Amino acid sequence: MHASTGILLLVLAVLPALCALACLVLPHRAAVATTVVVGLVCLAAAVGLVPAVLDGVVSIGFLRVDALSVVFLLPTGFLYAATSVFAVGYLGDEAAHAAQADVAEQRLFHRYSRLFFVGINAFAWSMFCAPMADGLALLWIAIEVTTVVSALLVALDNTEGATEAAWKYVLIASCGLGIGLLATIVMYYAGAQTMGQSYDLAFEPLVRHAEQLPATPVRLAFVLAVVGFGTKVGLVPMHTWLPDAHAEAPTPVSALLSGSLLAVSFYAILRYYEVARITVGDAFPQRVLLVFGVASLLLAGLSLLHQGDLKRLLAYSSIEHMGIVAIGVSFGAPLALLGVLLHVLAHAAAKGNAFMCAGVIVRSYQTKQLGSIRGVLERLPWTGPVFLASVLALCAMPPFGLFRSEFAIVAGGIGAARTAPAAILVVLVTLAFLGLLGALVRPVLTTRPAGQEADVPATGDGARLGGWMVLPPLVGMVVLLVLGLHPPAELSQLLRGAAGQLSGTVS
Amino acid sequence: MNMSLAPWLIQVAQVGTIVLGAPLVTGVIARVEAMLQGRHGPRVLQPYYDLAKLLRKEALAPSGTGPFFWIAPFVAMACYLTVPLLIPVLTTYALPLGFMGDILGGGFILALASFVVAVAAAETGDSYAQLGSSRAKTFGAITEPVVLLVVFTVAIVTTTDLPYVLGATVRSSPDQIVRPAHLLASAALFMVILFETGRIPIETHTGTTEFGMIEEARPFEHSGPHFAVLRWGSMAKQLILFTLFLNVFVAPWGMSSTRALGDVLLAVVLLLAKACALGCVIAVIDCSFAKLRLFKITEFVAAAFLLAVLAIFTLYLGGG
Amino acid sequence: MNAQSVPSVFDGTANTIAVVVLLLEFLMLRSALLRAQVRLYAVQSLVVSILAVVVASGRDVPELYALAALSFALKAVIVPWLILRLMRDASTEIAGSGALGVASEIMVAIVVAAYAFFTVSLLDIHSDVLPATALSLSVAVVLVAFVLIIMRRDVVSQAVGFFSLENGVSMVSLVVAAGMPLILEVAFLFDLLVAVVVFGVLMRVHHGRTHSLSTADLTRLRG
Repeated sequence: MHASTGILLLVLAVLPALCALACLVLPHRAAVATTVVVGLVCLAAAVGLVPAVLDGVVSIGFLRVDALSVVFLLPTGFLYAATSVFAVGYLGDEAAHAAQADVAEQRLFHRYSRLFFVGINAFAWSMFCAPMADGLALLWIAIEVTTVVSALLVALDNTEGATEAAWKYVLIASCGLGIGLLATIVMYYAGAQTMGQSYDLAFEPLVRHAEQLPATPVRLAFVLAVVGFGTKVGLVPMHTWLPDAHAEAPTPVSALLSGSLLAVSFYAILRYYEVARITVGDAFPQRVLLVFGVASLLLAGLSLLHQGDLKRLLAYSSIEHMGIVAIGVSFGAPLALLGVLLHVLAHAAAKGNAFMCAGVIVRSYQTKQLGSIRGVLERLPWTGPVFLASVLALCAMPPFGLFRSEFAIVAGGIGAARTAPAAILVVLVTLAFLGLLGALVRPVLTTRPAGQEADVPATGDGARLGGWMVLPPLVGMVVLLVLGLHPPAELSQLLRGAAGQLSGTVS
Repeated sequence: MNMSLAPWLIQVAQVGTIVLGAPLVTGVIARVEAMLQGRHGPRVLQPYYDLAKLLRKEALAPSGTGPFFWIAPFVAMACYLTVPLLIPVLTTYALPLGFMGDILGGGFILALASFVVAVAAAETGDSYAQLGSSRAKTFGAITEPVVLLVVFTVAIVTTTDLPYVLGATVRSSPDQIVRPAHLLASAALFMVILFETGRIPIETHTGTTEFGMIEEARPFEHSGPHFAVLRWGSMAKQLILFTLFLNVFVAPWGMSSTRALGDVLLAVVLLLAKACALGCVIAVIDCSFAKLRLFKITEFVAAAFLLAVLAIFTLYLGGG
Repeated sequence: MNAQSVPSVFDGTANTIAVVVLLLEFLMLRSALLRAQVRLYAVQSLVVSILAVVVASGRDVPELYALAALSFALKAVIVPWLILRLMRDASTEIAGSGALGVASEIMVAIVVAAYAFFTVSLLDIHSDVLPATALSLSVAVVLVAFVLIIMRRDVVSQAVGFFSLENGVSMVSLVVAAGMPLILEVAFLFDLLVAVVVFGVLMRVHHGRTHSLSTADLTRLRG
C-alpha cells in the first residue's frame, strides 16, 4: 500500500464533511464553487482508488476498501460531482430570480441554498463512508446517517408532498434500519460464538471464520439484513417510501437517492451475503434474494404501466433495477455477479441522467404530470435527446452499459442452470420496458399543439445557466457509452475482482 | 401453652377466623380510607355493630318473590363457609378436608355463591338489583377466564393445582418469587380481587350512585337478617380472596406449621394483620384512582387477562 | 416444557424486568394521551437501563454501567424532554387516535407477541449472559412497537413507536451481544439521538404545514 492511496481514502472520508461545514457559513456563490471543486476532487479520488485496490485491500484505522467497496464508491463519486455541477444551474435560476426580488425572498433563498449545500455534502459524505467502513456495525451507522440526512433533504422543498414524503421516508427507513440493527447484533452474536467477545464485527475476520460460524444465527441475520437494508434498497414490499421520496425531493437529491443511496444500501446486503454464502451455502441466501427480486421487478413493472407522474415513473424504474440486481445476485454465477456490479454503475449513470433531465423538463413545463408535457424534443433541443437516450439506456437498449450488464446477468443465470428465473427476468424486464417507453413516447416525441406556446414561460435549456444543467447528463451519456462499448481494462479487472469476492472463486 | 389441637379443631378455627375476622378487615379498610381522605371515619368495629343491628330487624320481601329469595343469602353464606376448608388459612400443612377440592373447586364454589345472589336479585324485579346482577355476570364472563388462566399458570409451575402445594412452592425459595410468571399471575389475581370485591376502579365501595353499582346493587331488596347475612357473606368473600392472594401467592409466611395452640393463635393474628395490611394498600388505591366508566371496565379486566396470558407464555418458554 | 427447572434469582429478575418492558409497550399501545405515551417511553427506557445495570452487576461486565448511564441520560431524559417540548409548542392535540379500537389493538398485539415468543424459542439461540426468555420478550417488544407504529395515526405516536422499537433492539443486544465493544454501543446511541433530532424537525415541519399532529391527511402520494 502506498501512502498516496491512504490519502485518497482520507480525502473521501473527510473532504465532503469539511465542505458541508464550510457551506454552513459560506455565501451562495462560494458554496456552489466549493461544492463543485470538492465533488470533482472526490470523483478523482474514487477513480484513483480503482488501480490501488487491484493489488489488495487498502486500509487506515476504521477505513478499509477492497474491490467490492470501490465499485460502490464510484456511483457516489460520479453522481456527487455531476449533481454539484447540475446544482449550479438548478439553483442558479432561483438565485437570479431572488436577486431581483425583495429582501425577504432573498433571505429565504439563501437559507434554502445553505441547507441544500450543507445537506448534499453531508449526504455524499455519509454515502462515501458506508462502503469504506470496516465492519458491519460501522456500516450500519453510516447507512443510518444517510437516512437522516436524506430525509431532511427530501423535506427541503417544504411543499405538502415533500412533507408527507419525508415523514413516510424517515419512519419506514428508520424502522427498516431498526431491523438492520437486529441483523448486525445477531451477526455479532454469531461471530462472538467463534471469535470471542472482543470481536468487533470487522469484515476480514468474519469472512475468514465464516465457515465455523453457527448456521442458524447467520441465516437469521441474513434475512433480517435483506428485510432491513432492503427497505432502503426499495425491495418490494418494503418499497412504499421510495416513489414518494424520489418524486418529491429536489432533483439533484433524487438523482443521488436513486443512483447512489440505493446502491450503497444494496452494498450492505452484499456484505451479509458474502458471509452467509460461506456459512450456510449458496442456496438459502440466493433463494431469499430471488423472491424479493422477482417481487420488486413484478410490482415495478406493473406500476410503470399506469404512471402519470414523470419523477414517480423514474422512481419505479429504480425499484425495477434494484429487483434486477437482486435477481442477478441470486444467480450466483461469476458472470451474473459481474453483470450485477456493472449494472450498479451503469444504473447510477443512467438514472442520474434521467433524473437531471427530468428536473430540467419539470422546470420548463412547471409540472410533473406526463399528460401536460408535450414536445420535449422540440422545446429542449439539448435536454430532450439526452433524456430520450437515458430512458432508452434504462430500458437496456444497446449500445449502453445497462444492455451489457443485463445481458451478462441473464447469460450468467442460464449458464448457472437457472433458466426459469432468467426467463422470468427477461419477461418482466420487457414489461418494464413497455411501461417506461409507453409512458414517455407521447410527452417526448409528439409536437406541442399550436397555441400552447404563449402560456408557458420559455425557460428552455438555452437559458443563461442551462449549460450547467446539460453538461452533467452529456458526460453521463459518455460514461454509459463507454461502459456499454468498451469498459476500461482496469475497471473490468476491478469488477472481476469484486465478483470473485462475492462468488468465492478468486482469492 | 404447648397443647396440641386436633386437626378438625384447626379446621373449624380456619372457618371461624374467616367468618369472624372478615368484618374487622372491612372495618379497618373503611377507617384507613376515611383517614386518607381526612375524615375521622367510623370505628374499626363498626361492621360488627351494623350486622348486630340488622340481625335484630324484621325481614321483608318484595311481593312476587319465591322461596329462592329467602334461602339465597344462606346458600351463599354456606358457600363462603366451605371455601376456607380448602385453602391454607392458618396452617402450612393440609388439613383433613383440605384435599376435598382443588383451587378450581374453590373457584366453582365462589361462583355458585355469586350466581345464587344474582338470581335472587333478579327475582325481585327491582331495576337496580337486576342491573347489578346482569353487570356482574357480563364482566364475570371475562374475569372467569382470567381466574382459569391464573390457575393454569399455577398448575404449570407446580404440576398440581392444590393451593397448599403452591404455597409451599413459593415458600421454598426466593427464585420462585421473582419468576415473571408468578408475578404476572399474582398481579392478574390482584386485579380480579379488585373486581370481585367491588373496589375502585370498578365501583365506589361505600357510595350510593346507583348507576355505577355492580356488587353493591345486588342486595338492594334484601332486608333485616337476610341483608346482614349477605353483607357478612361478601365480607367473608373479601377475606377469602385476600387469604388466597396472601397465603398462596404473595406472602405465604407466618402460618402455623405445627398443631400447637400457640402457633395456631399466632397464625390467626398474623393472618388478620396481613389482610389488614393488604386492606391498607387497597384503601390507598381507592383514594388515588377514579372510578372507571362502565364500558372501560372491560379494558380493566382485559388488562388482567393480558397479564395472565403473558404469564402462561413466559412459562411456556421455559424461562418464566 | 420443563416445569421443574426453576430459573435462578438473576434470571428471574432479568425476565421480570423484560416482562415489565413488554407491559409498558402494551400500555403505550393503550394510552390515548400523547403525553402519557411519551412518559411511558421514558419509563420504559429507564427500565431498559436498569436491566443493563442488572446485567452489569450480575455478569460482571463493567462497560455496561457506562452504557446504562448513557442510555438513561439520552433515552429517559433528553429524548422525552425534546418530544414533550415539541408538543408544548404544537399544543394542538393531546390525544391521538388509532386505526382500530383499543381492545382490538391489544388482541392483535397479543397475537404478534405470541408469534415472537414461539418463533424465537424455536431458533435455539442461547446466550450466556441472559436467559433465552428475555430474548423472546425483547423481540416481542420490537413487534408490538411495529403494531403501535402501524395502528396509530399521529406523528408523536409513530415516533415514540420507533423509539420504543429501538428500546427492544437494545434489549436484544443486551441479551445476545452484551460484550459488544462499548464504542459501537455508544455510536448506536448517538445515531439514535441524531434520528430523534431529525424526527423532531420533521414533526415540526409537519405541524407547521398541517397545523395538526395527525397523519390521517397524509394520503396525497399514492400509485
